Amino acid sequence: MALSGMRGLSMFISDIRNCQNKEQERLRVDKELGNIRGKFKNEKGLSPYEKKKYVWKMLYVYMLGYDVDFGHMEAVSLISAPKYPEKQVGYIATSCLLNENHDFLRLAINAVRNDIIGRNETFQCLALTLVGNIGGREFAESLAPDVQRLLMSSGCRPLVRKKAALCLLRLYRKNPDVVNIDGWPDRMAQLLDERDLGVLTSAMSLLVALVSNNHDAYWSCVPKCVKILERLARNQDVPQDYTYYGIPSPWLQVKAMRALQYFPTIEDPSSRRSLFEVLQRILMGTDVVKNVNKNNASHAVLFEALALVMHLDAEKEMMSQCVALLGKFIAVREPNIRYLGLENMTRMLMVTDVHDIIKRHQAQIITSLKDPDISIRRRALDLLYGMCDVSNAKDIVEELLQYLSTAEFAMREELSLKAAILAEKFAPDLSWYVDVILQLIDKAGDFVSDDIWFRVVQFVTNNEDLQPYAALKAREYLEKPAIHETMVKVSAYILGEFGHLLARRPGCSPRELFSIIHEKLPAVSTSTIPILLSSYAKILMHMQPLDSELQRQISAVFRKYESCIDAEIQQRAVEYLALTVKGPALADILAEMPKFPERQSALIKKAEDAEIDTAEQSAIKLRAAQQGSNALVVADPLPANGTPPVGSLGLVKVPSMNTNTNYEATQKALPQPNGALSEMDSQQAIPSPDLLGDLLGPLAIEGPPGDAAQSEPGSASGAEATSNVVDALALAPVEEQPNSVQPIGSIAERFQNLCIKDSGVLYEDPYIQIGIKAEWRAHHGRMVLFLGNKNTAPLDSVRALILPPANLKMELSLVPETIPPRAQVQCPLEVVNLCPSRDVAVLDFSYKFAASMVNIKLRLPAVLNKFLQPLSLSAEEFFPSWRSLSGPPLKLQEVVRGVRPMPLIEMANLFNTYHLIVCPGLDPNPNNLVACTTFYSESTRAMLCLIRVETDPADRTQLRMTIASGDPTLTFELKEFIKEQLVAIPANPRAPPPSQAPAPPPAQAPTQVAALTDPGAILAGLL
Amino acid sequence: MIKAVIMMNTQGKPRLTKFYDFQPPEKQQELVRTLYSVLCTRPEGVSNFVDVASIFGPDSRLVYKHYATLYFVFVYDSAENELAMLDLIQVFVETLDKCFKNVCELDIVFNYGKLHTIIDEIIFGGQVLETNSAEIMRAVEEISRLEAASSTISLVPKSVSNWRSR
Repeated sequence: MALSGMRGLSMFISDIRNCQNKEQERLRVDKELGNIRGKFKNEKGLSPYEKKKYVWKMLYVYMLGYDVDFGHMEAVSLISAPKYPEKQVGYIATSCLLNENHDFLRLAINAVRNDIIGRNETFQCLALTLVGNIGGREFAESLAPDVQRLLMSSGCRPLVRKKAALCLLRLYRKNPDVVNIDGWPDRMAQLLDERDLGVLTSAMSLLVALVSNNHDAYWSCVPKCVKILERLARNQDVPQDYTYYGIPSPWLQVKAMRALQYFPTIEDPSSRRSLFEVLQRILMGTDVVKNVNKNNASHAVLFEALALVMHLDAEKEMMSQCVALLGKFIAVREPNIRYLGLENMTRMLMVTDVHDIIKRHQAQIITSLKDPDISIRRRALDLLYGMCDVSNAKDIVEELLQYLSTAEFAMREELSLKAAILAEKFAPDLSWYVDVILQLIDKAGDFVSDDIWFRVVQFVTNNEDLQPYAALKAREYLEKPAIHETMVKVSAYILGEFGHLLARRPGCSPRELFSIIHEKLPAVSTSTIPILLSSYAKILMHMQPLDSELQRQISAVFRKYESCIDAEIQQRAVEYLALTVKGPALADILAEMPKFPERQSALIKKAEDAEIDTAEQSAIKLRAAQQGSNALVVADPLPANGTPPVGSLGLVKVPSMNTNTNYEATQKALPQPNGALSEMDSQQAIPSPDLLGDLLGPLAIEGPPGDAAQSEPGSASGAEATSNVVDALALAPVEEQPNSVQPIGSIAERFQNLCIKDSGVLYEDPYIQIGIKAEWRAHHGRMVLFLGNKNTAPLDSVRALILPPANLKMELSLVPETIPPRAQVQCPLEVVNLCPSRDVAVLDFSYKFAASMVNIKLRLPAVLNKFLQPLSLSAEEFFPSWRSLSGPPLKLQEVVRGVRPMPLIEMANLFNTYHLIVCPGLDPNPNNLVACTTFYSESTRAMLCLIRVETDPADRTQLRMTIASGDPTLTFELKEFIKEQLVAIPANPRAPPPSQAPAPPPAQAPTQVAALTDPGAILAGLL
Repeated sequence: MIKAVIMMNTQGKPRLTKFYDFQPPEKQQELVRTLYSVLCTRPEGVSNFVDVASIFGPDSRLVYKHYATLYFVFVYDSAENELAMLDLIQVFVETLDKCFKNVCELDIVFNYGKLHTIIDEIIFGGQVLETNSAEIMRAVEEISRLEAASSTISLVPKSVSNWRSR
């Protein structure tokens, strides 16, 4: 054995092993590194064998965590050694030590290429392995053709070819253009006919990577994948070596099924039939057996089959068969199967309508919450969270609360957040919601974020029916001997605001309330004291008749804190003390908190943000995106939470929630809604601790303008702020509320995004979310608008009007006037493209929420490129057409300046995303791009369009563009369209680069229509 | 994609670390340490999967197997099938076993280089390369022969000498 032959290395390793502690190890390593460094310095005396030995030592030291940067050069230089052992260690060390951006790699690129194109297969393997592990873009550019040749060559051994396949995969990840060559998809399909299972497995991994980005070119691979599955799963036609515990290569089966999941569906009836036969066989024929390894292997295949069945949206019968299997799995002894059973049930929730069947297993899932394995408990929690809806929320949330007391710390935060969100989302009544949150704070106060208690306060403030109940609960909790500080905060706040509603109950007189709250004061931190002071002030205000003894006590507290070192506490103390002497005016100034505006729950938002982080586009998510059925909107992360059917969402009953009318009434009573004030917070001079800003900012001073003006000027900095508030209110009367509805996210960006994609969110604000899903076929299109009411109150007077431009015929189906709370309605919109034009349709949308009208005008992404269909031409097809279309108006040429500089590849990608398919190789000049596409409209029918772009490598900001098609308008419009994409920065159309030379396109009819209704908003976006 | 292969002993000492998406050396050490603290608390008879999104970032999964004094750990993303990864660990272990005739930790410590050769024949750039342990053995033995042949006498393989003389 070659390595054990290296005595020096073995000695060194045993020295390291004999070290008693880290310090000794470090000394020994330092000594060795010094030695190696010295040897490398006077390189002449080193034999290749010695070099190899030292590099191995270095690699070992590197694994132990020491820095070996000085040896990188040696490792790289060994790559060009003539003999195998040195070369080998050079390759292995380089791929362990360096990353793809390391400068030294560039030095090696030639040596690596020589090894790849050389005839020595063992060298080829080494070189491929290096490139496959750390090859970057430069490697992709210079080596891809060589690697492809190895992969396709029948003269190469399978050992080389399978490495070439995976090497190409790496290069493709670094530069997708490496497979952008004529006939590649055919070659890929041909590769799948390979008999050698090693090569086939690698080729399948390559296919998975390719189709995960773009499946369209690879339809011919579908029947091949099905064939492979038949060969393995049905015919068991594999060499003995490739059966693993009796299962024919589970890895290949899994990969083949994974590849199929990237195709939206399988239309070819015979493939579909064969596939389902295989899937059925896998689903039925897998049993739990004794041998763990066999079990794992057969279930690896089974779980992948389940995923594929879910994806293909099989008949209901097969789906329920899947759920039944999963139901069986989550109860078996084998923990891995239980784990994956739960995980797959959660995935299943995401993609299909099987809620009801899964609910039958609720008891078992709850049992899994007590599993000894934290991994399984986590999966069970995820599943319960996902399957929760109004019908089972009470049971599930109560289970979670119960579990909270015994759960380990690692899970408590997640657990409490999830319980809080479910309680809020699916509360059958609000008093239950309050109960849950208070229990949550009581049981796991340390893990309850401020967001959670802020939210409960918002609900209580906005619902009068709830206030006495919440106050009573708060009073009860305060009686407990040791309560969490968060509980002190929320109880004190609620009792301050609503404690007076309990006045007639025993033990709830102002004096008693004060003393029970005040008892907690010595134990709380500085962030809580301001809340307590505020509630004392409120108790004082509500006190009737005046209890002078209590007043004295409270004033004494304020006086005590008048000189507090904490500015927030001090300020409140000073202000409240000054206010106590004001007598009846106090009641006006310290009036009850007005209602909070409906806003998105910070909790839900937080959970959503967390979901977005998971970037990887797994097949299952892709599936969720492709399936429009009942997802709120595709881009909306809500589906992660199980995509409950719309019907059940609409069922959420929040009886004591304000209806529209009584909200109006309360608005009259309280001239300023809470929102106006909290917007002011940022301008106020009052320093308030960040985390409390949301709730506490407005609390300090509050009152109708008149009274506030009475307060002595200069008595406290608060007075100044008060007058600010007054100003702001005067400027913003209630009628102008719509202006205060701020869209979430940039409308322009969302539109741009939808111009490229076919589904996503078009518009969102705190009340409504408008999503779009579209399908395009030739000159017809069908869009579905998803109007989702995000609130617990209905949206009224909903009106959607389409303002189509002359070139589009659009028909919107009926839009209901009211969208029920938390419900979503879908409105299909039929589109026909009449003639080529870049004009855009506008959706004029309005609704009424809580007495305020909101009107928005949105561009609809029925844009020119939606009517383009990708098409790729060969030179023989392209040039005759190009020549036949000669000169204007069918062929137009223009020099475009002010182009956003970008590498050619990026420009090619940009073209491809707009369905202008770049055909590489047609133009001999590498600085030019040639692209073609087919445009569809009623007047032109299918029309071939050819594009040539000549760029100037010296000046990336200008290019010459030639467009040709059989229709003059089309040629012109397409030219302008492409120009717009090249000169403007799509994400931010309002700020085109100043150097933009071409004249803006002439204003057209729809622009005027839009401009008439809302000039500012629309015009800016239209360009 | 497989993001990392880590072997460590039950004291937390790394025996093989291979990261397929590059991590700087300090980060590698930190990951090994964190991983050890998670693995050593896992009791017997639980599943082989651990949530590691907090350690390796979003979309990371981990499967491990515990043999005698060693942990074998694969970190991978959602593009891989969980149980297939577990099977691959088994293939790796069985290959080691064939290679060293009843493998033990010492074999692995002193044949650090061979370990690299073996793992490179199983996983390639984070993808499954070969799953047939007989085939893996053949490739590894071929490499061993080459190493042995040229370290005794400087014998350039025939194909190379042909090529070089061109």
